[in-house]
Order: sequence, then C-alpha cells, then structure tokens
Amino acid sequence: MAAEVLRMIPTKESLEPDDRQLVEQIRRGDDGAFEALIRRKTSKVYGLCYRVIGNSEDAKDISQLVFIKLWENLGKYDPQYAFDTWLYRMVTNVAIDFMRNKQSRDNAVNSNLRLVKTAVDPEQTVTVQRKEVEAVFGAVSSVLSPKQKTIFVMSEMEDLRSSEIAKILGCRESTVRNHLFNARKLMQQQLKRRFPEYARLWEESR
Amino acid sequence: MMTCQNFRVSLQPGTTDAELIEHLRHCDACLDYAMSVDPDLFFRSIGGEELVPPGGVEAFVSDVMSQVRVRDAETSLVPRRSMSVWQRLAIAATVAAGVTGATLVYRLEQSHPAPRPTGAIAAAVTPVTAHSAATATKSFVETYSSHDATIVEVPNDGTDAKVVMIFDDKLPADL
Repeated sequence: MAAEVLRMIPTKESLEPDDRQLVEQIRRGDDGAFEALIRRKTSKVYGLCYRVIGNSEDAKDISQLVFIKLWENLGKYDPQYAFDTWLYRMVTNVAIDFMRNKQSRDNAVNSNLRLVKTAVDPEQTVTVQRKEVEAVFGAVSSVLSPKQKTIFVMSEMEDLRSSEIAKILGCRESTVRNHLFNARKLMQQQLKRRFPEYARLWEESR
Repeated sequence: MMTCQNFRVSLQPGTTDAELIEHLRHCDACLDYAMSVDPDLFFRSIGGEELVPPGGVEAFVSDVMSQVRVRDAETSLVPRRSMSVWQRLAIAATVAAGVTGATLVYRLEQSHPAPRPTGAIAAAVTPVTAHSAATATKSFVETYSSHDATIVEVPNDGTDAKVVMIFDDKLPADL
C-alpha cells in the first residue's frame, strides 16, 4: 500500500518536461524552456565537441554555435524522431566542418610536432596515466579525417552504438564500422611511430 | 560500485558492459590491466566523463541566450516573408493568368483589328469637322468631305503653321 502511494507521488524527474515537451514550449515562444534545454544538453554537446576538436575554447565556441543553430532550426525538428539524434547530427555537422577548415590550416604545424615526439625510447617501461592518454589521443587522432574522428569519439568515448551513429550521420551501419576499423588501424600505426612506449602494450598483449 | 577484483575477473576483450567501462574510466590501478586484456580499451578510458565548458554551464547558457537575442533583433529588422507557400503559389498563378490573357487579347486584336478610336481621342483635342478644315494649307483638303472621317487639329502656340490630322479609312491614296 505504502509503495503504491509512493509511486503516485511525482518525483522531480517526472515533473520535468522531456526534450520533446521542451521543444514544444520553445516553439510557443517560451525562452525559459530554451534555457532549460541548453542547460540539459550543454555537457553532452560540449563533451562531444571537445573530444572531437581537442581544444576547450574552440569546443566552447562550436557548442555555442550549435545551440544558436538549434534555435534557428527548431521549427524543422520532427518530434517523431529522438531529439538527441537530431541534436547530435547538428553537432557532428558543425564540428566536422570546423575540423575540415582547421585541418587544412594546421597540417604544416602538426608535421613538425610528429618529428619531435618520435625521439622516445621504445624500451622504457610505462604505466598508463589517464591524463597522458588524453594527450596521446589528441596527438595520434590528428591523422584521422574529421568524419573518422567523430565516429571514433562517438563510439569509444560517448558509448554510442554503430546503429545510433549511423542514424546521426545519415549513413549505413557498415559505413560506420568501416570508419571505425580504419580509425583504429591508423591510430595504432601512429602510436607505433610517435609513442612507441604505448604501442608496446598492443604488441605484448597480441 | 564494482571492485577491482570483480573488474579483472569479468573483463573480456571487446567488452561493451557499461559497468566495466565505468570502472575502467575511474580506476587508474586497473587501466594497465585493461590494456593488457584489450588494447582497444586504451582510448575508451578517457570517455564517459561529464565535461563542462570553461566558465561553467550558467555562463555558457547566458552567452548563448544573449547571442540568440542579438540574432533575433537582427532578423526582426529584416522584413520577413510572412506569406505561406499557398499564398505565393496563388500570386504566381494570378500573374501567369494575367500574362496569358493579355497575350490572347493582343493576338485577337492583331487578327481582327478594332475600329479606329473616334470619339474619345477626338474629344481630347480640338475637334473640327471635314467641312470646317479651313486651316489646312492645301486647297483640296479644305474641300474634302466625308461623314466617316475624324479630323483633329493639334493645338499650337498661334503661329501660322497648323497641324491637322485626318483619320478616314476611305481617304483617297493620292491625297
């Protein structure tokens, strides 16, 4: 009896409107609902941007741009589809565009950095440190195309399934798996070249 | 919360178990072990964490809202197209019908010429009859007589020369 009564009392979560309800409120002109939506999605959007772009300031700018685009295009959202899929599609489009522009500017600088980093002794013992993994990822992922990197981040760090990524990018699941396979291969090659101390971990375990 | 011992016992290559991945992302001690089991977990260890933009979420929200307001103000200055697709189509159809109608009327007029305007144009200028064309310089014009002709005299500034126009389908070619 007590459990039934408890079930009838609305929790904080059940009182909060879901994404679709928020979108409906925004369409009716409720600015407060848009603020609530930004607050709810900032971590997701910024996290994906940061991991794809690898720079906090750029990631912040791109995230803001995503929310402005969201505001401008909210009329096009079809509520029969998941809101997060639609939002992630917007994030990936903006981030990939940014990466493509940035990649062409940064190519010369990165090639010099690679030469510096290959001077590490491959025989040294290494304990994996999380902060270092982030730095290594930032360095070796520069060889990936913007699309490969976005797919890799969504799969490995955002824990999205291939089918979800395919929906977000509007491509086939096999294409996503293909990009993932190539991304892993390219990054392992880069690890061997630039961070042999970590690459040994692969070789020892295989 | 999973213990390190449970993690090490349960971990298999290619795992997608959310609890195992969660442990991996928070336990430095198990990272090396995880790598030895499945090197692909190397980069998985840095995911999952909730990231906050520099300056915090509230500052971020406020930045976005102020930019949205600026954009809204900018777009409100530009006249918006408030017509729906149907309204635009209706206008396009009306214009097309008008052009087609005008073309048809023009072709019809070309094949069946209408009678020359008489009254209206004649009233606009000083009308004179064929009998009162005394101002013409040629003597035989002065005597020209017709019931169908419309003769108009273009007003001038009082000089000797006067312009007289005669509209008559039956006007002799040698006149």
